[in-house]
Amino acid sequence: MAITNNGQDILICIFQRGAADGLNAVAPHGDAEYYIKRPNIAVPLPGDTNGAIDLDGFYGLHPALAPLKPIYDAGEMALIHATGMPHGSRSHFSAQGLIERGVTSKTGPNTGWLGRHLSLNTTPQTSAFRVLSISGNVPVTLTGADDPLAISDISSFGFDQAIIDSGYPDILNNLFRSPIPFSNTAQAALSAVDELSIAKPGSINPDNGAIYPVTDLGRKMKQAGQLIKSTLPVEVICIDSSGWDHHENLPVYIQQSLSELSGAISAFHTDMGNKMQNITIIIHTEFGRRVAQNASQGADHGTGSLAYAIGGGVNGGQVFSDWPGLRDQDLEMNEDLKITTDLRMVLSELLTKRLGGTDINTVFPGLSYTPAGVFM
Amino acid sequence: MQKKSNNNISNILNSLHTRREFLTLIGKGIGYSALSTALPGCGGGGNGGTPVAQIPAASSEYTTLKRTSFGVHRDELNAINSIGINAYLEQQLDYQNINDGNLESTIQAKFPLAFQTPSQLHAGFPDNTQAIYTDMIGATQYRQIFSKRQLYEVMVEFWSDHFNIQLTNGLGPTLKPTDDINVIRANALGNFRDLLHASANSPSMLFYLDNFFNQAAAPNENYARELMELHTLGVNGGYTETDVKEVARCFTGWSIRFPGDSNGNPGDFVFIPAIHDNNTKVVLQNNIAANGGKTDGDQVLDILAAHPSTAQFIATKLCRRFISDQPDQASINVVSTAFINSNGDIKQTLRALFASNAFQNTSDLKLCRPSEYLAGTLRALAPDTNYPTDDGVLFVGAQSILGQIPFNWPTPDGYPDIQAYWGSTGGLLNRWRLSFLSYANIIPGINVFQINYNLMLNNANTLVTILDALTNKILMREISSEDESYLLEWLTNETGLADNATLSPSVIDQLSPLIAAVLISSAYFQLR
Repeated sequence: MAITNNGQDILICIFQRGAADGLNAVAPHGDAEYYIKRPNIAVPLPGDTNGAIDLDGFYGLHPALAPLKPIYDAGEMALIHATGMPHGSRSHFSAQGLIERGVTSKTGPNTGWLGRHLSLNTTPQTSAFRVLSISGNVPVTLTGADDPLAISDISSFGFDQAIIDSGYPDILNNLFRSPIPFSNTAQAALSAVDELSIAKPGSINPDNGAIYPVTDLGRKMKQAGQLIKSTLPVEVICIDSSGWDHHENLPVYIQQSLSELSGAISAFHTDMGNKMQNITIIIHTEFGRRVAQNASQGADHGTGSLAYAIGGGVNGGQVFSDWPGLRDQDLEMNEDLKITTDLRMVLSELLTKRLGGTDINTVFPGLSYTPAGVFM
Repeated sequence: MQKKSNNNISNILNSLHTRREFLTLIGKGIGYSALSTALPGCGGGGNGGTPVAQIPAASSEYTTLKRTSFGVHRDELNAINSIGINAYLEQQLDYQNINDGNLESTIQAKFPLAFQTPSQLHAGFPDNTQAIYTDMIGATQYRQIFSKRQLYEVMVEFWSDHFNIQLTNGLGPTLKPTDDINVIRANALGNFRDLLHASANSPSMLFYLDNFFNQAAAPNENYARELMELHTLGVNGGYTETDVKEVARCFTGWSIRFPGDSNGNPGDFVFIPAIHDNNTKVVLQNNIAANGGKTDGDQVLDILAAHPSTAQFIATKLCRRFISDQPDQASINVVSTAFINSNGDIKQTLRALFASNAFQNTSDLKLCRPSEYLAGTLRALAPDTNYPTDDGVLFVGAQSILGQIPFNWPTPDGYPDIQAYWGSTGGLLNRWRLSFLSYANIIPGINVFQINYNLMLNNANTLVTILDALTNKILMREISSEDESYLLEWLTNETGLADNATLSPSVIDQLSPLIAAVLISSAYFQLR
């Protein structure tokens, strides 16, 4: 790995699209109200069949997250419960937009919180691979950064030698000169093709016996690992994880989703080995799900949820939460898990302690920052 | 730019012998790149140092076609130039009187499952799942590429996104074909209120947004929320969280018949009174009286269809589709007013949009979407082709690279209609890869449609005249003198030949598809 980011962590930011349920990922099994409000869909008590994996006598991991337990036990994973951004929206699309912009209402900057942080570094970019999304499009989170790259599959991103020899990239380079529309994007794509053809990250194999699951997230994490291990100066990678909108039959669907998550993260952690000392993974969603189950064995849109922080610089092995309780009078609008830890505090601390510092007022305008203690 | 005396262009042809090799060609980036030696601005055009203009504006006729079809087709450009924009658009709006030849019968023969009822499809389910996908996608792509009812197909795509349903969930494959026919295609140029009612009653939608299980005891809010946020009012359209709950209560009991139900056919709509909430509700300050049964939901749909926020929301989306990502409010208001005054008549609404200043006096404001890119490539390169001789899989594969496979967007908001989404680095690169469909004629397995370069060239035999002919026939619009210079400089460098030298037929055969790929890759082809 080329250390080009001055000892700062490489950041992998995973967005769980669709409002991932936090209450069944990390179950508050010590709160009796949890079993009252979710009589048919709760994660059973530790020790029961398919019961939660106890963490501290109050919280327990969903059994499908078992592959993450060793990472938690090694102090490299922290869980932040009853978190989110207090944007007050239960619309997926509005809430995702607000979270990605790092704002709690429509006013405020239109760029992404991470993009604003990255724009603070004004060093001219020599690589198209500093900031990228492993997907077909650039997420709002990254807008505001200089030409973030969107690349859905590194092994198919590029041209055959015969096309290169025909001069095709050269003439496109000219036809998409500034100020032709999309010139910046086209130039970045052509540069990226060039860099990839030299670095060949797609041919790098997993280390330490890591086996990535053949799932969407597994493929993305594998590519993230390949990019990090290559000579490309990767600093930030955004990844989407989809399929979390469990309005019905939540126990079955969340089992699948959490298995995909834990399998991919666990394989990545193994693959990276000691490199995890300089990597931070943050995982969050747009809002949580309703505390009470609905009649379809699912849960509708809610408020507070769960975030994960993973890496060598994490004060792991603990659940960060000022638990708000699940009685009706404890709930947001009498039905949702309250947000007691503003996710922006966690992200601010991440940028401050692990990514070389930031300007909080630019990244999260109006936020009064106090460290949450999640990061070293 | 580096000078070469050898003819590198033949290398592409040498590497293209099979379909598999074509996919390899467009799919891989390996080895040394010539990019590092590319320098802009040397040679022919005198561009160095002087500011370069953006691309020359396309004509109003061209732009109208680009915005109201899946790509400019030579015959339609001739028609609109001949009869005028207004007459052309009126013909397109009157789509039922456009003779579409034998397209529909071809599609019915080739993609029969796209026409089957839930009962019929359920008989072979789930073994027929893949075949249903293939037929639904194939039928859609064929219509986009080959239909003469282009505006109608554009609106079918628009409403398919607006009332998005992913085909792949659970029973979804058995239900969506009927939704496509009876909801989307039946009402695409009809009345919005009818379209909304058809969608709400559609088993495919009731299943996709979980309303089939919405019951008084513990309502499921999924459909109620998306109905207001995505189908009618828009997220800022003035509804509250209480409205979401009240609307959900109104739709309790709207469900579908499942396989094994002896009282009806699988996939039929059914209203179940026993699980309907019969108490009074208040929706957007309207009282819904107790004991209304199914009419509770019907009343909600009427309230929403007539709500001014719905008119604004639909008008904004239409302007975004046909003009630009950020349409001006004056144009939106004109369209919104037409929507209100016509009680949601989609043709009248479109007429107002087409008459707006923003539609008539602008061009090249927006990147086309992948569906237009793929269909447009066929329509530009192969305007006379017969229907492809394969089973439709080539175009499915092509669209899987571009990222807009019909009926495959997972969330209910539909494929994005914002150019920043599609115009990413990866997005552009995928389009460039697909531009090599220009080699279709000579690749076994890809040669399922016919490109006639000789007809386009019309005996042109020098670099200058070949470039001129292909630009006219493929782009069908003027390019800048700077770009012409860049293209000629590239061609003279790569071939080692003077731009006015007479070329041999074999060199012309090698050059034509490569030039076509470059033209298809350019901003000229991709903007509208």
